[in-house]
Formats: sequence, C-alpha cells, structure tokens
Amino acid sequence: MSELKETLKAQIIEQLNLENLTVADIKDDQPLFGDELGLDSIDALEFIVLLEQNYGLKISNPSEGKDIFHSVNTLAAFIEKNKN
Amino acid sequence: MSIVTSCKLNASSLIINNQLIHTISGDTIDWKRELYNFYSKDYPKFHKMDPLAKMAFLGILGIEKTTDLSVYDDNEVSMIFANKTSSYKSDSNHFENYTKKNLISPSDFVYTLPNILTGELAIYLKWYGENCFYILEKFDLDFYIEQIEIAFSKGKKACLCGWVESSDKSEDLIIFIIENQNNKINKEEIYSYFK
Repeated sequence: MSELKETLKAQIIEQLNLENLTVADIKDDQPLFGDELGLDSIDALEFIVLLEQNYGLKISNPSEGKDIFHSVNTLAAFIEKNKN
Repeated sequence: MSIVTSCKLNASSLIINNQLIHTISGDTIDWKRELYNFYSKDYPKFHKMDPLAKMAFLGILGIEKTTDLSVYDDNEVSMIFANKTSSYKSDSNHFENYTKKNLISPSDFVYTLPNILTGELAIYLKWYGENCFYILEKFDLDFYIEQIEIAFSKGKKACLCGWVESSDKSEDLIIFIIENQNNKINKEEIYSYFK
C-alpha cells in the first residue's frame, strides 16, 4: 500500500504539472483540494483520467469523486478495493 | 503620459518601459521558466498554463515591477488582447496527444481557446470586468486605439492591452496599461511609444 501511495504521488505530480512539489511534499492524509496544493476543478478531471489510464478504473458515480479524491490515502484505498 | 507601463518579452529579453531589464540566458529548456524564476514568484498555477497564458502572466509580473495594479477596482479595467495564430500551438498539442498517443488531458483541452489567458489574468489580478481576445493579421495599434476609445467611452479607468504570439516561429509579448485621461487619447504619443 505504501508503495502504491508513493507511486500515486509521483503520478499526481506528473499528470497535474505540479512542478513546484516533490513526492515528499504530499502527505498521505493531506486534503488534495483546498488551499494547500491549489488544485482546481480541471485537476479533478485529471484525476479521473489518471485513474482510468494508469489503473483501468472508472468512477461510475461522479458524486463519489469528492470522497475518492480527498487524499492520497483515499485514492489508494479506492484503487486497492477496485483493482482486479 | 497616458501609457502607464509597458512590458515586452520574448525568448531573449525582458523589456519594461522600453528599458532592458533582463537578458535570458537560454540555459533552461523553456525560456519562460527561466523568466518565472527570475521574478522569484510563487504561483504554482503558472506551471499548468499553456505558452500563451504563461507569457501573458510573465508580462503582468513585468508590469507589476513598476506599477501597483491593486489601485484599480476589478471593474475599472478592460483587457484587450490579440494575436495572429490564436491557440493553434495548444490546439495542435491537444490534437496530437489525443489522436496519436491516446492521451487525454483536460488541462490541455482547456487551453484550446486563446481567451483562456485573459481568464488566468482575471483570476490572478482579481479583475472580473470586461475582457476580449481578437485574432488579427498583425499587431495593429490603430485597432487597439479604437478598442481603447470604446472602453474609455464606457467609463473604464484603464485598459490592459496585449499582443501575445506563440508559434513554432516565435514567441513574443507586448503588454501595456493605458489610463483614461478625460476620454482623450493622444495617438501620436502611443505611436511614438511603440516606434
């Protein structure tokens, strides 16, 4: 699980062009949306693409996105739960 | 002087008020990143912008070197921008990623309109008034003067005007603030300023 979280952080930085951040800057339980990382609604769409392209996962119910994308912890848990 | 501040930048130099401020070394892969570092600005959204928006943002940072833009209320300024090739470079990038590499990027897609850059500036400056982006054959001062006159006749206090071009041939930006002085524009002054 911890390896998955580190991989996720690297993918988030690359996919979202967070050039000012390193993997070490993103905490597992840190809210991804809000003031700290400065992510916006376009980034939420990037998360959907990231999950689909890297893990083959689709979010069937858009209202679940807010909980799934809350932090690296919640993203990793979603991937673990839904991977084949 | 009705033109308060101007800024010109390209891959080789940053010029503010017709004075060379910084020569770009070209040591970094992208000259815009080098200029961003020169300003020592912390604005993470910069890294997500397309080339047009990056240049417009860097132009605003240049303007801010000498001018306090917070003196204008958000509805007192009209933004008038133009270029020749619209967002063609970002369009091509999105098209290539989508069709040849099967890479879908919402952030690429969002920049497939040139006027996104005026939105980026509006967010940064907190100016939520009038803005427009035109496609012109070339930088045309008379066109800008016409648009400025319209804006001033509507009571705008100032106009932020810009020409921003990003193509495979070149990347250039001219940006300037012009203030309303009794709804009169000294055309000769503007012509001589850009000689």
